[in-house]
Amino acid sequence: MVGSANGATDLSSEMEVDAFRRLFPLRFHERHLLESVRPDARSLGKARETSLALGAVASADGSALAKIGCTTMLAAIKMEVMTPSKEAPDEGCVAIDFHMPPICSPIVRPGRPAEAAPVVSKHSGMIDLKELSLVSGKAAWMAYLDIYCLDADGALFDAALLAAAAAFSHLQIPVVSLNDDGRIVVVSKENGEKAKNKPVNEEKRKLKLRSIPFALTCILHKNYILADPTAEEESIMDTLITIVLDTSCQLVSLYKPGGPALAYESVLQDCIALSRQRVKELQKILNEAILDMDVD
Amino acid sequence: MEVDRADGRAPNQRRPVACTRGILHRAHGSASWAQGDTKVIAAVYGPKAGTRKNENPEKACIEIIWKPKTGQSGKPEREYEMVMKKTLQSICLLNVHPNTTTSIVIQVVNDDGALLPCAINAACAALVDAGTPLKHLAIAICCCMSENGQILLDPSKIEEQKVKSFVYLVFPNSIASVLPEGSLKSEGEIMEHGILTSVTHGVMTVDDYFSCLKLGRPAAAELSDFIRNNLKLKPGNDSSKAA
Amino acid sequence: MAAKGGAAPATYSPSPTTFKKKRPPIFTDVDWVRPDGRDFHQCRPAFLRTGAVNAASGSAYAEFGNTKVIVSIFGPRESKKAMMYSDTGRLNCNVTYTTFATPVRGQASSDNKEISSQLHKSLEGAIMLDTFPKTTVDVFALVLESGGCDLPVVISCASLALADAGIMMFDLVAAVSVSCLGKNLVIDPVSEEENYQDGSLMITCLPSRNEVTQLTITGEWSSPKIHEAMELCLDACSKLGKIMRSCLKESASTSQE
Repeated sequence: MVGSANGATDLSSEMEVDAFRRLFPLRFHERHLLESVRPDARSLGKARETSLALGAVASADGSALAKIGCTTMLAAIKMEVMTPSKEAPDEGCVAIDFHMPPICSPIVRPGRPAEAAPVVSKHSGMIDLKELSLVSGKAAWMAYLDIYCLDADGALFDAALLAAAAAFSHLQIPVVSLNDDGRIVVVSKENGEKAKNKPVNEEKRKLKLRSIPFALTCILHKNYILADPTAEEESIMDTLITIVLDTSCQLVSLYKPGGPALAYESVLQDCIALSRQRVKELQKILNEAILDMDVD
Repeated sequence: MEVDRADGRAPNQRRPVACTRGILHRAHGSASWAQGDTKVIAAVYGPKAGTRKNENPEKACIEIIWKPKTGQSGKPEREYEMVMKKTLQSICLLNVHPNTTTSIVIQVVNDDGALLPCAINAACAALVDAGTPLKHLAIAICCCMSENGQILLDPSKIEEQKVKSFVYLVFPNSIASVLPEGSLKSEGEIMEHGILTSVTHGVMTVDDYFSCLKLGRPAAAELSDFIRNNLKLKPGNDSSKAA
Repeated sequence: MAAKGGAAPATYSPSPTTFKKKRPPIFTDVDWVRPDGRDFHQCRPAFLRTGAVNAASGSAYAEFGNTKVIVSIFGPRESKKAMMYSDTGRLNCNVTYTTFATPVRGQASSDNKEISSQLHKSLEGAIMLDTFPKTTVDVFALVLESGGCDLPVVISCASLALADAGIMMFDLVAAVSVSCLGKNLVIDPVSEEENYQDGSLMITCLPSRNEVTQLTITGEWSSPKIHEAMELCLDACSKLGKIMRSCLKESASTSQE
């Protein structure tokens, strides 16, 4: 191993950069890390440029498109009506699905962060399930949240969570009424004159979000912490740690599934500090996106 | 300070642990691990030739098959499988048997809280039983935050459902080595203080997390000693098996 | 709160679309207006862009009205191990729908095989398969929103993505469909019109070579109607071909800068 590593150093002066990157990927990245810079010219703790667009899907009740660098996530919520369970007669439900369609990555590894996604938004207390109730014991909303990864370039969970949070802030609950058969029907403008079926949820058009969680994934490699990794970095240095903090800086999740590097307390503190910064950035981006939406 | 736990334990008290190795004859390695009423059996098969698709053939591959007590495995089981796979991958020496697959079957016998840590400990003991080359052992524990801010160690199922959040932590165990002590420290940090795996559920403050860490560490060290002593016994010679 | 994902309770969509399956009488009228106010022989404005997915070797995004599609190309890459040796390349097509593509959730996921094989048939003739022997080119399409004419949009978008990936083709493939509603021929129908159509005709062609790679006719047609519809389609295809060409030129010129 040592021999080949030294060989790589010697070769690096003669070889073309692209060839060196492909043949000795770890070496290539470590050379960058020594200079505290990454191949895409970012500093180690800096996240990629992030953008949000609300209302990307016209056929959904709430939707958002989140982009972190090249990673693109499309989240859409469709509201359907269900009969609530006996144990919780005035609570709705949120069903989350994460999809990685084959278009997003040359190696589709289905269900990678899929399992982690539902856990977070469930337990973070972002949504009060009571707000999804329509008629106690009779009808409640089932919010189907589907997140599609359109382009996978690392930090998938961060982007998925951002898209999901944005989709919930964009969500417009349709005004519905109870019809004579006991079914819930959308009140459309044409049959609005049917005054006998009063809308059940006139004032509950928007969900109140208690506190919104934001995630930051970091790579731990030797003594370095790399925030918001790209797919290439993730494949080469494989200790990932995902920290989810909400807007009041409570810890929602600290997820580190194995990996050769160990997370010491000082490293954890550094990662949490980076996440705190990122939460502020993302919150600003989300607020701007919501403002843009209101202006339109 | 005292919290009445249903089983009369102190907040930082674990449930009694039992470990038996070599309980299955057809598997290459097996172990059962019990913490209180939570019991898991792990069986190791392999290394078998070839790796699955999308795995790196230059390294050994580890496959986890989680069998729940009843019913079919769903989303939580798949999540457990993924966490366990990543955790065990990082303690195994994957370069020793490249292009092979080692399957670890986890059978849940009874779930009474702290299921995933219990399964990780069982798998670890089973890997040792199978003679799989490992860097070190992984010691898993569970801490939870009760509503009044008290941290409880190794919660039972009822406690797990009542508390607002809980943490699964996996630490590497200390290596008994002939090398001088300093060589195992990296950057002045003691290795067994590093976290191998961390999975949390529910909201907590950052400080709470670090208090969990503090409480978990000595517990993991205790468990580590237990498992080391247990491994010194010959499989089948164990007293708990005879009983 | 346990996630109730496993045993999902039965849900229904509150939207009233399921109730009025009746065909509106206006369609038999001579002077009805199309739902989006277009002329009968007017296509929806097309928005095309290449390079939508960074991880793919080539990709394109197409938006025709409410129909939104992304196509990614991967390869040419190693064929599946189980595949026999072949001295021409292989084409592997797959079309998927998002669960929110249709007004009612998860409705459109049933006949993907059919659409995928139609996509394969219409592209096969345009690609120079002998330029990448032993390997496979994967064409993956995701319909983000289905607003009618999904297949033609997917096909046009796929050929644009293939060009973006640098796969050798004889020409771009442009696809247009026409619906027959009573006495009227309606080009580039929206999903509402597709639901009430008597018959549909789709042509995929290579506009500059004036060759047809696929022609699909369903429903009830008379010969003069078919002629008229084909003329209409071919004309629209050549126009769409021009738009696709200019889109490629544009992306090539921006990448050079």
